[in-house]
Amino acid sequence: MDSIQLLYDIHNGETFGAMIAIYFYLTGLSAGSFIVSTLSYGFGFERFKPLGKIGIVLATLLLVAAPMFLLAHSGQKLRVWHLFVYLRWTSPITWGSFLLILYPINCIIYGFFMFKGRKRLTRIFGLIGIPLALMVHGYTGFILAFGKARPLWNSSIMPLLFLVSAIVSGIAMMILVSVVRDRFFTKEHKINTDVVSALAQMLGWCLVFDLFLTACEVVVHSISHLGAQESTALLLTGSFAGLFLLLENLAGKVIPLAVVFLPRTRGCIPLLLIASILVMIGIYTMRYNVVVGGEYIPLL
Amino acid sequence: MAREKRFGFLVDLRRCIGCQSCSIACKQEWNVPVGRYRCWVKQVAKGVFPNTRKSFLPILCNNCEKPICVTVCPVLASYQKPNGIVEVDPHKCIGCRYCMASCPYGVRYLHPDLGIVQKCNWCSHRTENGLQPACVEACPASARIFGDLNDPASEISKQIAQNAVQPIKPEMGTDPRAFYIGLDDMTVEVKAHGHELAHTTE
Repeated sequence: MDSIQLLYDIHNGETFGAMIAIYFYLTGLSAGSFIVSTLSYGFGFERFKPLGKIGIVLATLLLVAAPMFLLAHSGQKLRVWHLFVYLRWTSPITWGSFLLILYPINCIIYGFFMFKGRKRLTRIFGLIGIPLALMVHGYTGFILAFGKARPLWNSSIMPLLFLVSAIVSGIAMMILVSVVRDRFFTKEHKINTDVVSALAQMLGWCLVFDLFLTACEVVVHSISHLGAQESTALLLTGSFAGLFLLLENLAGKVIPLAVVFLPRTRGCIPLLLIASILVMIGIYTMRYNVVVGGEYIPLL
Repeated sequence: MAREKRFGFLVDLRRCIGCQSCSIACKQEWNVPVGRYRCWVKQVAKGVFPNTRKSFLPILCNNCEKPICVTVCPVLASYQKPNGIVEVDPHKCIGCRYCMASCPYGVRYLHPDLGIVQKCNWCSHRTENGLQPACVEACPASARIFGDLNDPASEISKQIAQNAVQPIKPEMGTDPRAFYIGLDDMTVEVKAHGHELAHTTE
């Protein structure tokens, strides 16, 4: 039984690869920072007001940058207009091509009214933007989930996992941005610890949820069908174990979680900064592990 | 009586000798780029000496009845013809590779120069004009049978009716239309991981 050996097989090349992982990462950051931006201007949490404007600027810029990686990945770059002319509504990429147009437009309108100081309109477009931000990142989870032959992708938890990790990375980026701006780009050079600690608390709870979803995925896959077991083994003991266990989960989630919640460390701004950077690296590693790890195991 | 044809493919693994004639015929017919294949024979060694045997598994597009590649293609480039063959429109494809990512059989590839995805279409330019696919013509062991599944008198319909046949990975729910006589699941399941693949393809 044991003596079976592969002599010859063909692998027709990588499909998505790191380019798409970067794309997913950038849309995630964009969605996350948009949501932080709407906390004050959409939902009225006045505490987060200092992050409203910088949040929307970053959300817009990141979402303009993100599709460039899609473009770079595409084999026929001059044919992107096909996405808007030949429509297949069963394909998440078709949903995405419209979301990727609507969401930045909404971001620009929302930002415009915010900078003009028109509160009511800002609020309206902020609230319209929330479902758009969730969809623009949620659809990327559907892209992977529709890859039904790859157990690491084909999971109904995938869109939710992508959303939560998007919010996690977005909040981490906003902590970083908030501290850097207060420290270097204001007259007082005084860090607004109120905002930072509130963001850190949010980051902590989002990390708990993210860890919970990741654990669900791994535990269920580890006793599911053969392909799912192989994919779990790849993450826990195989070639992706270092990336998954150490970088993504230990450095990217558990350590920041400890920093954010432990009474001795949670007030320390340098440690919070390091934790945010770790989270951002960790979430990128998560995108990489899911996209590249998902297609690492060949199909036949 | 003009009944709609539904093409199908049958590989008799009892006859396959693993000579790769099908792979070569396909390469010649379609000018498939270096390192990419529409059709190949996976080879596996089973057992311990002296009780060993090579096991062969010719792989080609299943031209599924419910093709996931067509479901996910965002630009209508992948489409299914009434005769069941799934084609890629070379003028529409944008090379996003979503079809490659979703296909459970890994039979699609990105053409490195054209930047579009290509795949086995059971030589539709031949088969729709009454000829056999290039790989079927080339097979010296007559292990490959191509024909109309809707015609109960065709060779493929008779063989499927009279033998135990199975497609690869029916659990994927794509309703594949390439069948195998004597399919060995161990041969299907054995895989090379990541970097090891480089050695098997080059």
